[in-house]
Amino acid sequence: MFDKILIANRGEIALRVLRACKELGIATVAVHSTADEDAMHVRLADESVCIGPPPAKDSYLNIPALLAACEITGADAVHPGYGFLSENARFAEILAEHNVHFIGPRPEHIRLMGDKIAAKRAATQLGIPIVPGSDGGIGTDDEARRLARDIGFPVMVKAAAGGGGRGMKVIRTEADTASALAMARTEAKAAFGDDTLYLEKYLERPRHIEIQVLGDGKGRAIHLGERDCSLQRRQQKVWEEGPSPALNTAARDAIGETVAKAMRKIKYLGVGTVEFLYDDGAFHFIEMNTRIQVEHPVTEMITDIDLILEQIRVAAGNDLALAQSNVKFHGHAIECRINAENAVSFRPSPGKIIHYHPPGGLGVRVDSAVYHGYAIPPFYDSLVGKLIVHGKTRSECLMRLKRALDEFVVDGIETTLPLFRALAQEKDIIDGDYHIHWLEEFLARGGMEP
Amino acid sequence: MARKPGSSPMSKSPAIDHELIRELARLLDETGLTEIAIERDGVSIRVARNAGASGSLARQAELPVAVPSVAPAAASVDPTQHPGLVASPMVGTAYRGPEPGAQPFVEVGSQVKAGETLIVIEAMKTMNQIPAPRSGTVIQILVEDGQPVEYGEPLMIIE
Repeated sequence: MFDKILIANRGEIALRVLRACKELGIATVAVHSTADEDAMHVRLADESVCIGPPPAKDSYLNIPALLAACEITGADAVHPGYGFLSENARFAEILAEHNVHFIGPRPEHIRLMGDKIAAKRAATQLGIPIVPGSDGGIGTDDEARRLARDIGFPVMVKAAAGGGGRGMKVIRTEADTASALAMARTEAKAAFGDDTLYLEKYLERPRHIEIQVLGDGKGRAIHLGERDCSLQRRQQKVWEEGPSPALNTAARDAIGETVAKAMRKIKYLGVGTVEFLYDDGAFHFIEMNTRIQVEHPVTEMITDIDLILEQIRVAAGNDLALAQSNVKFHGHAIECRINAENAVSFRPSPGKIIHYHPPGGLGVRVDSAVYHGYAIPPFYDSLVGKLIVHGKTRSECLMRLKRALDEFVVDGIETTLPLFRALAQEKDIIDGDYHIHWLEEFLARGGMEP
Repeated sequence: MARKPGSSPMSKSPAIDHELIRELARLLDETGLTEIAIERDGVSIRVARNAGASGSLARQAELPVAVPSVAPAAASVDPTQHPGLVASPMVGTAYRGPEPGAQPFVEVGSQVKAGETLIVIEAMKTMNQIPAPRSGTVIQILVEDGQPVEYGEPLMIIE
């Protein structure tokens, strides 16, 4: 087992990782920018190292500074959290060269799934159903047009080097193709440094359903069920729940086993999430994230399995201690991502929290690094925290969520709490009857207007 | 405030040698001195008797005051606020000279020109020379040879 883990991240996930380390008796090093000197996880860590000024490129993405911090603290492992360098294969390799463990998958798998075209090919080879689309990158505009006609409009053009909801455009008719492709290429080049695009059938009203996996790198892998993350705004998840209101046990077991089998075949190491669009009873692979995800607590609440603990265990070389039969689902969990934004305009609202009271009680979990008097820095994401609620049934969960949302006080900044209070009252949400465009349609028709 | 690497919440100050302090206090009483200060292994201890009138109360033996300190500390001014502060631009291990254990580049009192090497910070086997941002006199050195430093760590004060 590791002696000392350096947490190469910030905010709520850094605190989450710190908690797991403490439970495992592993010493912790918190690295931080000058803007995060007062972060909660920095205060609680055994050691801290300031690694740079606020901009991420000079601090949390600064590989030399992170390596130097490992060197001076003697950390033998790094947990990259999510975002930042968590899916940077080069970072994982550099750490290995310096005899520091990277808590995550092997670089080859990070690379494989980081290239969205290669990932789709791999998925097909591994028996995972995909969205019909171009086999690889698209070349000329004529080729793209022909392909789109074959697949059938509307189609979606995506950046091969993209992911996480960025670098995507819908093309509804053949006439739109040329301009959409030109725009997509320019954006992809600017955002990811690579203008390779691929095409996929655009599914009109699918749900986003993802499967959590865990592997020990030695051929053992299990799935831990699904999370339904259909409620998104600008392709960013806002509300996640598990189990999905759309799946029954048979469907879950089938897709879960398909994915677990694929992970066993490639000897996947660590946690990962295989994301699908689910439409009309069929699953379509879109991408795999080779890291812990923001919404991992949903799975933890319904399985009682600590994913970060397990992630650290397998990274340290332990065999997977859990068999598929050990994974049992009980009850229902919903997570709300609360941002420091106005709930109607979504304008960012950084600033000092002058009153903070998180809800508590049975089945209520708040994963947040903020505290009374904390000032949210303007340099990073606007996540205030995650409210995760569990109930024996989805109804009980929704009632508990309403209660918890009403109790949650965050004064001094604007937050999206009102959005969740409104969603918890919406008939479609209560019925579990929604899809990936539902939230934007709700906002567009003035769902949040008084 | 960020905690420096190598320290834990339990060891914010160096271990206090209670025996030594007791010994010094006894010496103070025996000799009638008002202050004794010693330095040993980088730890300096000052034991002083507070002079003071006690009014109508019976005179009580004033307890000696022990003040442990580590690095050669000069003024009571917070070094991080000093306009002449040179802070570390990187994470690594600071060396006072061109190699571990070699003659230091500067000492307290050294006159330096802008651009002159003050200190070297090593990270991943690369030695990075840290130049003086301005000309002046080194009035305080805040790191020891071989000390791990973080970004923004106070290194020296140049006036």
